[in-house]
Amino acid sequence: MTAISPATLLELYESMVTMKLWDQTALRLLQEGRVLAGYHSGRGQEAIPAGGVAPLRRDDYLMYAHRGFGYTIAKGMSLAAMFGDLMANTAGATGGLGAGIPHFADPELGILGQGGTLGSCFGIATGAAFSAKYRGTDQVVVCFFGDGTANRGAFHESVNAAAAWKLPVVWICENNGYAVSVPVAESTAGRIVDRAAGYGMPGVRIDGMDVTEVYRATCEAVDRARAGEGPTLIEAMCHRFRGHYEGDPQVYRTDEETERLLALDPITNLAARLVADGIATEERLGELEVRVQDTIDRAVEVASSAPMPGPERLYEGLYV
Amino acid sequence: MSQATTTRTLTFSQAIREALREEMERDDRVFVWGEDVAVYGGIYGATAGLLEQFGPGRVIDTPISETMIVGAAVGAAITGLRPVAELQSSGYFGIAMDELYHKAARWRYMHGGVFTVPLVIRLPEGAKGAGPEHDVSPEALFLSASGAYVVIPSDPADALGLMKSAIRDDNPVLFFEHAGLYAYRGEVPAGDHLVPLGEAAVKREGSDVTVIAWSRMVGESLRAAEQLEAEGIDVEVVDPRGLRPLDLDTILESVAKTGRVVIAHEAPKTGGAGGEVAAIIAEEALEFLESPIIRVASADVPIPQSRYLQQFLIPTAASVTEAIRRLD
Repeated sequence: MTAISPATLLELYESMVTMKLWDQTALRLLQEGRVLAGYHSGRGQEAIPAGGVAPLRRDDYLMYAHRGFGYTIAKGMSLAAMFGDLMANTAGATGGLGAGIPHFADPELGILGQGGTLGSCFGIATGAAFSAKYRGTDQVVVCFFGDGTANRGAFHESVNAAAAWKLPVVWICENNGYAVSVPVAESTAGRIVDRAAGYGMPGVRIDGMDVTEVYRATCEAVDRARAGEGPTLIEAMCHRFRGHYEGDPQVYRTDEETERLLALDPITNLAARLVADGIATEERLGELEVRVQDTIDRAVEVASSAPMPGPERLYEGLYV
Repeated sequence: MSQATTTRTLTFSQAIREALREEMERDDRVFVWGEDVAVYGGIYGATAGLLEQFGPGRVIDTPISETMIVGAAVGAAITGLRPVAELQSSGYFGIAMDELYHKAARWRYMHGGVFTVPLVIRLPEGAKGAGPEHDVSPEALFLSASGAYVVIPSDPADALGLMKSAIRDDNPVLFFEHAGLYAYRGEVPAGDHLVPLGEAAVKREGSDVTVIAWSRMVGESLRAAEQLEAEGIDVEVVDPRGLRPLDLDTILESVAKTGRVVIAHEAPKTGGAGGEVAAIIAEEALEFLESPIIRVASADVPIPQSRYLQQFLIPTAASVTEAIRRLD
């Protein structure tokens, strides 16, 4: 297994810290009544968007999932634009349409957006990968989805076609054990990773709480896709620390379970490793956190200063 | 519009194929995919010969996966291509409804207009003896799918000209083709024949009654008009050539002139687009009406697989004639 350079480890760490502080800030804004959207916290699952997006080029395509905003943070989306969408004002990437389910996109960064109906990511990712191949580029698509979404019929249709046509796509399933409230064991036959064999493509199940595992597996899959060798399915086993959405009473799991999870925090675990391996000091990591929070605070400030859209916004951008 | 000096005779199916061929020659980003569209040439022959000319990279047989066919076409469209995707039957709309209604129609809007979705979905429709699931004419289901255009040609010239315009348009277009029209021959202007989207055609001028009809019912209405001419009734036939954009000016102008309206479509009356058109006329032009609006449509039953029984269900020229005679 190839070693990950200290510089890359620090980048992955910073990426995850940004996601965590973003999440905390979004929750604070939510409590203050400044967020006009539902929010699906990504706390606990930062290793997957961080390790799954870092191997991508700027022109590679991203289909993100609704668990936190980590995917787009990692792809370089404007933080102010995302806060603007949370506040549903005109600073948002959607120009005021808001973010009940985030629908922000940035074609320049290969961020292709998100559907609110789960599973629609599969077809669009397949089409984007087809498009890259058709145009003769070596762009790659990474498509994130949860274990619940993996049970949509669209999964079969799209994953089959992408494998049959050897399209450059990496399917990353975040298996956090619950489809909203329903445990995987009650809803899903077999292991999701084992489906890869049925489609004749490589499948790998990894520890999705360890960013280095996610990063390595994704690098390998991206390299294969870029070389024209077709898709890969990665099943990243993980845990979400909070409810499916803010306000989820979580009657489907015990407090003991959620408390136990905190020991698995991918960010504190990587921090301990960076310090133990002499890659960073605790002071340096603390400074990094202050710097990131400052960046986030400035983004909130920019977003907060934007006006709300007028009713005319409803009628803009529907047709070309 | 084109500067045609001559015409050619094409079937409706050939007209679709010529439109695809011309646009694929003009623009490398245009490709065709769907079930049996490549080697087989499409079950209605509308893509025959394209594989030979453009190769397997641009004429693509897909798996039987309508959700993917439409969803991936959206993905291709937002990343720089101009797909023409065929659903082998518009009756498969339900399998791809999320992709048609929410993705093709709304991806641009809900992401703040940062994408265009230059996409054509071909949807063969209409009664042909294939049973209640295949024989539907579901265009009215997409009246509420704002963001997508709904285009419906009724003859080969319009099929060619509208298809070319649809491919060049940056909005998603649901393109309904009546399966019963594919073999129908007509004159098509030579040259680069473009018919603008959202422009109705007055297929026959008349002064006594306006028949608003689309798809196969245009031909039926023209036959009805010929028959009634002998009885001294002067029928105008207006073909909106689609439901969105809807050319209200042409429709309302005709209504103002004749004061009598029959709306004819093959889809069942309840939930058919005739209800919407009638409502618009009632809102905008009630003062011109000298008689209640009559809708000619299929009855509110599934279309049976029996062609024998279909003849008692599907509206024809006689249904239009009978409706016009009922007008005050």
